[in-house]
Amino acid sequence: MRDGRIVAMDIDVLMDGGAYVTLSPVVLSRGCIHAAGPYRCNNVNIRGRTVFTNTPPNGAFRGFGAPQTEFAVEVQIERVAEALGMDSVELRRINALRPGDTTATGQTLRDDTSALMVLEEAVRRTDFLRKRERYKGTNRAMGLSLFYHGAGFTGSGELHLKSKARLELTPTGVRIATGSTEIGQGTRTTHAQIVSDALGIPYEDVEVAQPDTARVADSGPTVASRTCMVVGKILENCAHEMKERLNGLSPADFYARNGAFSVEQMYEPPDWIKWDDATYRGDAYATYGWGCDVVEIEVDPDTFEVRPLKLTAVQEFGRPIHPALAQGQIEGGTAQGLGYALLERVVMRNGAMANSQLTNYTIPTTLDMPELDVVMMENPYPGGPFGAKGLGELPMDGPAPAVVNALRYMGLDVREIPATPELIASCTAAA
Amino acid sequence: MKFVLNGATTDVKAHPMARLLDVLREECGLTGTKEGCGEGECGACTVLVNGEPVCSCLIPVLQVQGADVVTIEGLGDDHPLQRLFMNEVGAQCGICTPGMIMAAIALGPSPTLDDVKIALAGNLCRCTGYSAIYRAVLKWRAMPDANAAAVAAR
Repeated sequence: MRDGRIVAMDIDVLMDGGAYVTLSPVVLSRGCIHAAGPYRCNNVNIRGRTVFTNTPPNGAFRGFGAPQTEFAVEVQIERVAEALGMDSVELRRINALRPGDTTATGQTLRDDTSALMVLEEAVRRTDFLRKRERYKGTNRAMGLSLFYHGAGFTGSGELHLKSKARLELTPTGVRIATGSTEIGQGTRTTHAQIVSDALGIPYEDVEVAQPDTARVADSGPTVASRTCMVVGKILENCAHEMKERLNGLSPADFYARNGAFSVEQMYEPPDWIKWDDATYRGDAYATYGWGCDVVEIEVDPDTFEVRPLKLTAVQEFGRPIHPALAQGQIEGGTAQGLGYALLERVVMRNGAMANSQLTNYTIPTTLDMPELDVVMMENPYPGGPFGAKGLGELPMDGPAPAVVNALRYMGLDVREIPATPELIASCTAAA
Repeated sequence: MKFVLNGATTDVKAHPMARLLDVLREECGLTGTKEGCGEGECGACTVLVNGEPVCSCLIPVLQVQGADVVTIEGLGDDHPLQRLFMNEVGAQCGICTPGMIMAAIALGPSPTLDDVKIALAGNLCRCTGYSAIYRAVLKWRAMPDANAAAVAAR
């Protein structure tokens, strides 16, 4: 409508799955659920298809479909604002999801919905509106994206998974026995922190077993931004049960008097979650992380290289269990997102990837990365350990639309990514 | 084939065209040096040869005859820069970390942030976005004895 309210969305999602199914159904599912973006709209039609093509399977990447569809909606929002003659920040403000709003699947959002909070903070912190004006007519520009990411398995996925975690009493403390795999994200540290705080024992007294499936509890896969939020929550519950059984004794004292015992619990999703796999209606995710990225870019007038100068990532993911590790997830995910935006072009030729070396498939180096300003905002999720939500994939959703929206302020109508110099050159020729 | 490895004279039997990377890992048992791409693009296998950071996957061992080679093991187990990589979370998955540290060790004195970026431009990291690595390296260089330690490592 003229006043900026979005009254209907008609979205067609078409994904290239390659020659084999692999994880494409899940990528398509998450992609479609996020396809309407973090916006309220009562009339949404989303059609999703994945097609076979004659290439290696495309499968999953960090974000599982959401970076693709959120890119589309965030770029489209800029076009809508242009057509209305309205400022795009104002358009986002009018339509951003708020607590009590319903999503495309009919989910009523709860208090831990922070689209407006991250948007306002990012706009304020970067002086976005004034700077955007100031750069008009130069080779610099500011771009913004608003995004969200559902944490944990989709719909009834967590219910079907029946994830378990176990805490074992040892002569010196406790041992965590889960299937969660440490891949550098800091799972061993955050899980041990959660257990140490919930039990009220020193961090050093918590050890973490190697995730050997012959001896640890089956906590489900280490995916879907669920390891801290879901497995961490089971561990928190285990710690509470263990604390009761310790009856005031330290783990070491209890062990010396009574010997070992262990506590194993299964994940129970919040009881209000309702999801219907047949109609795809209901609570798609127990909670969402929220983000707003603002990027400042410069385009080289001779080479058409797009250089990001500074990226401000304002992200809300409940509460960080370990702020430095959480910041590492945001910085690293943002770097991947910038690679997706500007550099990482997959070239298929005769059914094979033609650039499968780091020589010709280039990921961001130190010289490709802008200054990063990370802001972690809090809005605790009651179902997560100490209020934490999932975080791993969220930062991947924002950089690409922010970069392309910045290019749009330069008059460049970029319709695909990565925005390589060749692509910018062709857009410049068209303009 | 004789060269100085982490301060000690070493004599290895290897084909002269064997990659220094393989000789270090397999003949010398020093598995701290990682193989990433194996084509000189990622820097994961960086070691110092006569104080210069090089990709050990591109160097035939013949080329280090008589040279001074320092690997991540040559820093000992508790080098301040290793500790800072840990404290600042400059390492996530860890594959780039030994090469990243060796490239940073070779930095000149009092580097600016741009100096650090240029020095590490040949070392790819997919996890951190590099910011935490800059924090670690700059904090290390701000330590009073860092310059002396770097010279000793050469």
